[in-house]
Amino acid sequence: MKSKLFSIVIYLAATISGLLVLLYPFFLPAISIQSGFGTFRAGEMPAMMTLLLGLCMLVLLVEAQGPVMNTKLIALLGVLVAINSALRFIETAIPGPGGFTPIFFLIILVGYVFGGRVGFLMGALTMLVSGLVTGGVGPWLPGQMFTAGWVGMSAALLRPIIRLLMAKRHPDNTSAINLEIIVLAIFGFLWGFLYGMLMNLWQWPFILGPQEQSWAAGLGMGETLQRYLAFYLVTSFVWDAIAAIGNVLLILMFGAPTLKALRRFQNRFSFTYTPERNAVPSELGRGSAG
Amino acid sequence: MKIPWAWVIWLVAVLVVLTITRNPLYLLIDIGCVLFVGLALQRVEVGTPRLYSPWKFAGWIILLATIFNTLTSHYGETVLFTIPGKLPLISGNVTLEAMVYGAINGLILTGMLMSFTVLNLALPVRDLISLIPRAFFPVAVVTSIAVTYLPTTVRQYQQIREAQAVRGHQMRTLRDWLPLLMPLLVGGLEHAMQLAEAMTARGFASPKPEVGRRQVYPRLLMLLGVVLLALGWWAQLVSASWKGWLVILSGAVLILLGLWFTGTHSPRTAYHRHVWSWNDGLGIIGALVVISVYLLPIPGIGKVTLYYDPYPKLSLPQFSPLIGMAMLSLLIPGILALKSLNDETL
Repeated sequence: MKSKLFSIVIYLAATISGLLVLLYPFFLPAISIQSGFGTFRAGEMPAMMTLLLGLCMLVLLVEAQGPVMNTKLIALLGVLVAINSALRFIETAIPGPGGFTPIFFLIILVGYVFGGRVGFLMGALTMLVSGLVTGGVGPWLPGQMFTAGWVGMSAALLRPIIRLLMAKRHPDNTSAINLEIIVLAIFGFLWGFLYGMLMNLWQWPFILGPQEQSWAAGLGMGETLQRYLAFYLVTSFVWDAIAAIGNVLLILMFGAPTLKALRRFQNRFSFTYTPERNAVPSELGRGSAG
Repeated sequence: MKIPWAWVIWLVAVLVVLTITRNPLYLLIDIGCVLFVGLALQRVEVGTPRLYSPWKFAGWIILLATIFNTLTSHYGETVLFTIPGKLPLISGNVTLEAMVYGAINGLILTGMLMSFTVLNLALPVRDLISLIPRAFFPVAVVTSIAVTYLPTTVRQYQQIREAQAVRGHQMRTLRDWLPLLMPLLVGGLEHAMQLAEAMTARGFASPKPEVGRRQVYPRLLMLLGVVLLALGWWAQLVSASWKGWLVILSGAVLILLGLWFTGTHSPRTAYHRHVWSWNDGLGIIGALVVISVYLLPIPGIGKVTLYYDPYPKLSLPQFSPLIGMAMLSLLIPGILALKSLNDETL
C-alpha cells in the first residue's frame, strides 16, 4: 500500500513537472527578452525543454517499468509496440490525410484494458521504437514519448467513468449503442487535439507572427491562452481535427473487436508462475521436459 | 569509430553548435561536416543506406521554413512587397529579414535532422539499444523484442493482405482494414503468449529478492530530483539567474544518481563488446574541441561572432577563423571511415 502511494506521488511529481516545462508560457509573468525578438532564448529554450522533459520522462519510465518485471507483460508489450510501430511505419510509407495516424487507437485501448502503467509504456515505447526504425530519433522524441505516454496512462482513468455509466444504465436497456466505445471515441477525439496542442507548445513562444497570435512576455494567463488559441486555430486546427476524427473512426469501427481480443488475452495472461519453494534442486533436475 | 558513446559525443558537439549559434556561416560549416560524415558512411556502406538525397532533403526543409517565416512574420526594415487584405497571419509586409531568419531556422532544422540521420546510419539498432542505461533493462528488453518482431509484423501484414486478396477482399473504405488488423493483432498476441512461456521456461525474471523488491532510496532520490527540477525551472524562468540553474543541476544529479543506484542491481551481459580504439579516441577529442570552443571561456576566441540576428535590418554575419577551424574537427569520423575503406582496398 505504502509503495503504491509512493508510486502515485512519483507519477504526480514527474507529470506535473513535465507539464510545468511544457506549459510555461501560460503561467509565466515575464520571461527575459534581453536579446530582442527572443533570439537568445530561441536557441536555449528548446534544448532546455528537451533536457528537462527527458529527465522527467526517465523518472516516469523507471517507475512504470517497476512491475513489468514478469515475462508475460514484457512479451505482451514488446509485441504490441511492434504492431503499433509497424502501423506507424506503414503510415510513414503511405501518409494519410492531414494529421491522421493509426497509432493512438491501440495506445488508448491498451491503456484502457491493461491499466495506466502499461498504457504509459505502450505510448512512450511506440514512439521510441518507431523513431529507431524510421530514423526518427531526435530532440523532439522526449516530448513525443511523454505526450504519447500520457495518452495511454490517462486512458485508464476512463474505467471508473465507464463503470459508473454502465451501472446507471437500465438493465432492460438493450440498445445496440456501445456506451464503452462511445466514451473511448470521445476520449480519442479529445486527445487528437490535445496531442497537437501540447506538441505545438514546443516552438510557439519562438515563432514570430501577428501580434494577436504571438507569445509576448508579461501577458496574463487569460491573454496568453487567447493568443495561443488564435495561433492554434490558424495553424494546426484542421490538421489536428483530421487526427481527432481519424481516432474516432478507428475506435468506432475497430474498437469493439479489438477490446474483445485484448480482454481475451488479458485473461489468458493472468496465470502466475510460482516456483515450488520446498522442491530440492535434485528433484527439479529430474523433472521431465515434456 | 565503432563505440556508440563516441558517436553520441560527436552528436552532442553538432547539437551544441546548432543550439548556441544562429550565425549562418558556422551553421553551414556544421551542416557541411555532418553531410561529409554521412556521405562517407554511405560510401563505406555502414548501416542501412537511405533512399533520399541529402541535398533534396535540405533544400525542401530550408525552402519550407523560409516560406513559412516570410509569410507569417512581418518584422524587418527591408520591405520586399506587401500582401494586401486581411488574411489572418499572412497579410502584411514581406521582408528580407524575415526571409533570412526563416532560412536560418531551416538550416538549424536541417542540421538537427541530418545529424540524427547520420547517427542512425552509423549505429545499427542493436548499438542504439545498448545505449539504454542498465536501470531500464525491462524497457530495453521490450524495445529489443519490438525491434526484432517488427519485420515479422510487417511480413505478417503482407501475408494477411495477400491471403485476403486471394479471397476477393478489396481495400475500398476504412472498414476494409478490419480483416487485416484483427488477424495481425491476434497473431501478435499469440506470439507474445509463446514468447512469455519460452522466457519463463528459460528462467527470465525468476524471483530474485534483491531485484524484485522495489528499492526505496533510489526512488526517493528521483522524486526529490524531479521536485528540484520543477522548482529550478520556475526560478530560472522568473529571474533568469544562476540560482535556478544550480537547482536544476542538483535535481538532474539526484535523478541520475537514483538511476545509477537502480542500475547497479541489473547485471548486463553482451555477446560482443566493442573495443576502444585510437579512432574512437580521436573522434571524441575532435568533438570535445568543438564543445569546449562553444561552451568554455577560452581567451582569444571571439564568442561575439556566434551571435547573429537579421532583425531589425539585415547585416553580414561576422566570422572568427579560429572557431571555423576548430569546427572542422567534426569531420574526423568521416575521414576515419574513408581511411578504413582505403586500407581495406589496399
